[in-house]
Amino acid sequence: MKEFRHIIKDKNGLHARPAGMLATLARSFESDIKVEAGGKAADGKRLLSLMSLGARYETELKFTISGSDEELALRALTEHCRTKLNGE
Amino acid sequence: MAEKVYKGTGISNGKVSGKIRIFKSGGQAARGIYRGKAQELRRLDNARALALEQIRALEKKALATLGEKEAQIFEIHAMLVEDEDFMGSVIEEINGGKCAEEAVEITARGYGEMLGSLGDEYLAERKTDIMDISNQLIRILQGGVSQNEGEMDEKYILVALDLTPSQTVQLDADKILGFVTAEGTPSSHTAILARAMGIPALVGVGTVDGLNDGDFALLNAEKGVLVACPSEKEIKEFEKEKSAFNKIAKEHEMYLRSVMNKPAVTRGGHRVMIYANIGSEGEVSPALSNGAEGIGLLRSEFLYLSRDTYPTEEELFSSYKEIAVKMQGKRVIIRTLDVGADKQIPYFNLPREENPALGYRAIRVCLDREDVFKAQLRAILRASVFGHVAIMLPMVISLDEIEKSKELLEECKRELLTQGQSFDSKIEVGIMIETPAAALMSHSLAKEVDFFSVGTNDLTQYTIAVDRQNPNVAHLCEKNTEPVMRLIKMSSEAIHQEGGWIGVCGEMAADLSLTQQLVNMGVDELSVSVPYLLGVRGKVSECR
Repeated sequence: MKEFRHIIKDKNGLHARPAGMLATLARSFESDIKVEAGGKAADGKRLLSLMSLGARYETELKFTISGSDEELALRALTEHCRTKLNGE
Repeated sequence: MAEKVYKGTGISNGKVSGKIRIFKSGGQAARGIYRGKAQELRRLDNARALALEQIRALEKKALATLGEKEAQIFEIHAMLVEDEDFMGSVIEEINGGKCAEEAVEITARGYGEMLGSLGDEYLAERKTDIMDISNQLIRILQGGVSQNEGEMDEKYILVALDLTPSQTVQLDADKILGFVTAEGTPSSHTAILARAMGIPALVGVGTVDGLNDGDFALLNAEKGVLVACPSEKEIKEFEKEKSAFNKIAKEHEMYLRSVMNKPAVTRGGHRVMIYANIGSEGEVSPALSNGAEGIGLLRSEFLYLSRDTYPTEEELFSSYKEIAVKMQGKRVIIRTLDVGADKQIPYFNLPREENPALGYRAIRVCLDREDVFKAQLRAILRASVFGHVAIMLPMVISLDEIEKSKELLEECKRELLTQGQSFDSKIEVGIMIETPAAALMSHSLAKEVDFFSVGTNDLTQYTIAVDRQNPNVAHLCEKNTEPVMRLIKMSSEAIHQEGGWIGVCGEMAADLSLTQQLVNMGVDELSVSVPYLLGVRGKVSECR
């Protein structure tokens, strides 16, 4: 099991588009990907589930990844958060 | 083409012939007939596949013409259509006995509300996305094109499963010869609208399958029959009957018009004011030309429907003012916002309720949303200097609600004073009597208000526990008027004791078989939709 945390720097928060991109990426892995924010948990592969977190600017997301390709998923997701959820 | 016959309940006696136009829901209320679980699931699956295809095509187009960023939204739509949570909930609704259209709608609304409750400024975008795909799915399920395609130039007979209030207000009334709906009862919105517009209609025909856009049809509301694709011989006979019917109707109307401008007084000498119920500015002129002595019920919801945001105080004011001016000093009773229950307005974000008729609606919502309520009260007050305007509060059940509303009204008056705005400081305040509680408490309520107006539709529903939209029990309303009559009598005595007056603005006011009874109870005003004005006036003068 791998874990990492990311603070959202996109001022729009985790709204439809970034959530969609995140879910698309998460789906390319076999591992289970759980995303937690503000006391709520979501399935990282499901768009509506992610959107339901209502995660805003400067909210901390906690990713928990477990499965056969967790190492790979961790790297890809960290990279994704760094580049796509950083408020470019 | 083979002739097809449909039977239902006829509304407003009349005969029309013309081409059929099928109304396609824009996604507002998607109701359909449940065809069984397996078939609904199959329909959903097909619609989903087709929706995905359409979305992909749109995405391609957007990519080519708009660029990658704009095209991304269709990627989101595609994901939503495939989303396990979304579709899981739709399937759950279908398993629970909902047709696919309704299942999609309920799910979309549920998620829309959930996202809305997160209190994020981007919720609008998210909700729109969900509504978009929901509408798309529903459109596909109903086998339709979008609403605005294929406008017909000639007048037509509108055919629909059922119509919601917001859909009906968007219709182009000038183009409609008659209505036919699969669902609905004599007191459903479509029926009320048909009556208000004075056009023949047929409700509750069960199914409208087999009717096609452009089919020629004969609608006989008197007999409750629609004949699609009739034979030449039938058309000829129908046209003959039609002109005979129209001739008699015209003669009667001429007589009624000749007495239109005389006050309606019973033979016993009781004077009854004949007022009109209207739901838009456009109905003011027809009301006046049919002898309305005032507006007994202005349904103020019309300014809130067909839009995405709350109307501003200025918008409300200018509309109220226009109506007050047009009525030239005749009384205009503006009923404050009655939203909730079967009248939903999306941007109010009212929660979905198990039992909306007993839920969060009308004055209950207004007293919670002071900003919305006060904007309306201020607009009414400002309009009051341009004519004779009165305020009427809906769904009152207690003294407390009247006191709170009057406090807010006083607050609005003080604000307007400090801003140097003028208003009628003695503006009349009345309440609707539409709950048994209000009728039973009428002695104490009467002390606080200038008038009562009985909303007999809701009062009947709440008194005899009958949902008037439910075809299985709706007929119980028609036979069982006595309990409601007693409540009206009680209210009439109470308000007269305090020197006020009482009107009736529900459907009962237009029921000529009840006019004598209402007059006997001392009712001072009858407020009916425009096509009934002449008839009711005529009936009153025949009363003892």
